Amino acid sequence: MSFLQFAFYFFAMILIGAAARVVTVRNPVKAALYLVLAFFSAACIWITLEAEFLAIVLVLVYVGAVMVLFLFVVMMLDIDVARLREGFARYLPVGAVVAAVMVIELGVVLTSGRFDLESMPRPSGHGQDYSNTREVGLLLYTDYVYAFELAAVLLLVAIVAAIVLTLRRRPTTLYQSPARQVRVTKAERLRVVQMPSESRNKENQGDPS
Amino acid sequence: MIPLSHYLVLGAILFSIGVVGIFLNRKNLVVLLMAIELLLLAANMNFIAFSHYLGDLAGQVFVFFILTVAAAESAIGLAILIVVFRSRRTINVQDLDRLQG
Amino acid sequence: MRLSDLQIWTITPEIIVAIMACAILMIDVAMPERARKTIGFGLTVSTLLLAAIAVVVGQDAGYTIGLYGLVVQDRVSDIAKLGICLITAVALVYGRSYTEERNLLRGEFLALALFGTVGMMVMVSANHLITLYIGLELFSLCLYALIALHRDSAEATEAAMKYFVLGALASGILLYAMSLLYGLTGTLELAGIRQSVSGFSADDLPLAVALILVIVGLLFKLGAVPFHMWVPDVYAGSPTSVTAYLASAPKIAAFVIILRLLAISLEPLLEVWQDMLIAVALLSIGFGNLVAIAQRNMKRMLAYSTISHMGFFLLGILSGDSVGYSAAMLYAVIHAVVSLGVFGCILHFSGEGFEADQLDDYRGLSKTDPWLAFLMLLFMLSLAGVPPTVGFYAKLSVFQAVIGAGLLWVAVPAALFVVVGAFYYLRVVKLMYFDEPVAKTPVRSSAAPLESRALLTVNGLLIIGIMPWIGVIAEACRNAILLVGS
Repeated sequence: MSFLQFAFYFFAMILIGAAARVVTVRNPVKAALYLVLAFFSAACIWITLEAEFLAIVLVLVYVGAVMVLFLFVVMMLDIDVARLREGFARYLPVGAVVAAVMVIELGVVLTSGRFDLESMPRPSGHGQDYSNTREVGLLLYTDYVYAFELAAVLLLVAIVAAIVLTLRRRPTTLYQSPARQVRVTKAERLRVVQMPSESRNKENQGDPS
Repeated sequence: MIPLSHYLVLGAILFSIGVVGIFLNRKNLVVLLMAIELLLLAANMNFIAFSHYLGDLAGQVFVFFILTVAAAESAIGLAILIVVFRSRRTINVQDLDRLQG
Repeated sequence: MRLSDLQIWTITPEIIVAIMACAILMIDVAMPERARKTIGFGLTVSTLLLAAIAVVVGQDAGYTIGLYGLVVQDRVSDIAKLGICLITAVALVYGRSYTEERNLLRGEFLALALFGTVGMMVMVSANHLITLYIGLELFSLCLYALIALHRDSAEATEAAMKYFVLGALASGILLYAMSLLYGLTGTLELAGIRQSVSGFSADDLPLAVALILVIVGLLFKLGAVPFHMWVPDVYAGSPTSVTAYLASAPKIAAFVIILRLLAISLEPLLEVWQDMLIAVALLSIGFGNLVAIAQRNMKRMLAYSTISHMGFFLLGILSGDSVGYSAAMLYAVIHAVVSLGVFGCILHFSGEGFEADQLDDYRGLSKTDPWLAFLMLLFMLSLAGVPPTVGFYAKLSVFQAVIGAGLLWVAVPAALFVVVGAFYYLRVVKLMYFDEPVAKTPVRSSAAPLESRALLTVNGLLIIGIMPWIGVIAEACRNAILLVGS
């Protein structure tokens, strides 16, 4: 068994175990942490497939941002775990059987010979000077530039939607209004008062010299 | 060497766990969102494995976009979850029973 | 490679709408409170009209692949884009006062509606699995957010959550199917997939799994039985203006992605998916029509009616030839226009604190508002498929296609359910014309939106007025389809 094979099966076991725990564990916080483990193992497996850029992106974006968002929401909401678990144990055996049947069915189909080493041999892999990031980047900014721009629009939609759904203005909270600050005119803030000019004598009275 | 089918079976296992997880956690919306992430991870695993064995980078580019979309999707999903929680003080799916008929 | 080789003009409408959506977000911040609604709304509608003009000006009688194969422009995408822009614009006009009364008419609402339109347009011009997926998600995400935007309403947030969970599950399944297709064919381009699939034998097991998962994912999104659970909840729970938006234009977009992904790319497997779709279509027609009878809620009843209409639409697709596809296209366009009209009537009838979503609200409408009742009558007759409305012609062309494909035994039960369906549509007519008005029904008090009334009239009269020209439209659909198939 080569190191590559060992690494694949090792991380695959961890990935499956973690994924199974995500959907069965009692506490949502633990589920989120198991999901982090699952993503991390998946990233390691992707490295065995020479997808280094995506592996790093998975760790940075998912483990770093999305899962933190999940944990943040889970901890912010006051969740009654016990009630959510009602009836869970009853369905667990059924769920396990269904999952097993699905895996066996898909497994039979996918190992049916079309995808074995004879019909699809493993490519030999690239040399040391190959940069996955460079290659993916070249494709992203040329052939897929339209999809890239659309992804930007999609992220904008996500930002707008998340803010508009969750932002609440409480009447008791004091907040800045940048729009009003910017729009303010001289007339609103500055009042020019006409005053009679002071006489010189008065001013001299205060002078210590 | 590792045949492609082993990667695909790994993807199939993740997919099954995701689908069953959605039905098992019908009540718990947070875990439900996590099960959806598992589904997407299964698809990503397939794409990357195929991409490597076919020697075609298009699969990896697709995964890049799936990751982007999934991040946006979970942001909106969690936002909706918060809105639901604020109006009901619960994320139990069974309590979502206003619409029935 | 020069810039002109990109064929960037194929996406002019998308560019216009996306830029204007960003502009509306900015303008919304800068404008004083009072001017906001009028300016933002006016800009939104004019953006959609401008995009429609851009579609017409840039129309292409041929078949152009643009942006490195990510985008295709042909007659189908032109017709679909035109329909999407115009229908969305009208839906927004109908929903204006309703949205404003519920304090939802903000820059974000308009921008999300526009971004959703961009998503639909991307979907209908997709030539690549990546653009198809991103367009689908862009549209879906906007829709989830639009529904949840009514934050104070428990029904709306619940509908958004249900829609989100099932929509995300459907995308996950569709994506998994796409990954298998990619592995089997080695390409993500739809034309390449078609070419490669035709080399497979029909009983290839992995391909069959991919096909089944594609169908499940698409049917989930379409809301056909047995994947229809979300439809009634989403229709009933959403603010009616959003329901009008999601019940109309997206049906056209759904037609185009089913055409491109299933009917054309996977056409070599026709015999495999035809049987599956027959079962789904008949179940949808039967179940939708039967359950709709039991509904007391107008929006819920229309949701079940939509499920049955999606069944008819699938009947056209499963005929598997250009006659069937053009019948399905005609059906999708007509269904979108009629749904738009029905929800327009509901929106027009509703008022502040009055949703007009119970069937009982419509008792005696002919006495309080005869014109609205007459328009509603036209829409109901069209939904039921009574001549001389366009609904009749849509059903007729679908039946012609099904019988032409040698599936008479499918057409007979479907025709029987049309009769069952006529019952609940005509019940609404009976409530409006033969029952006494209920005292609590308020007559629309707020400044009656004149533009929505005028548009509604046009929309309603189109339903019968277009009858003589329906052949022209059907011909346009047929020509569009023929080009795609070649």
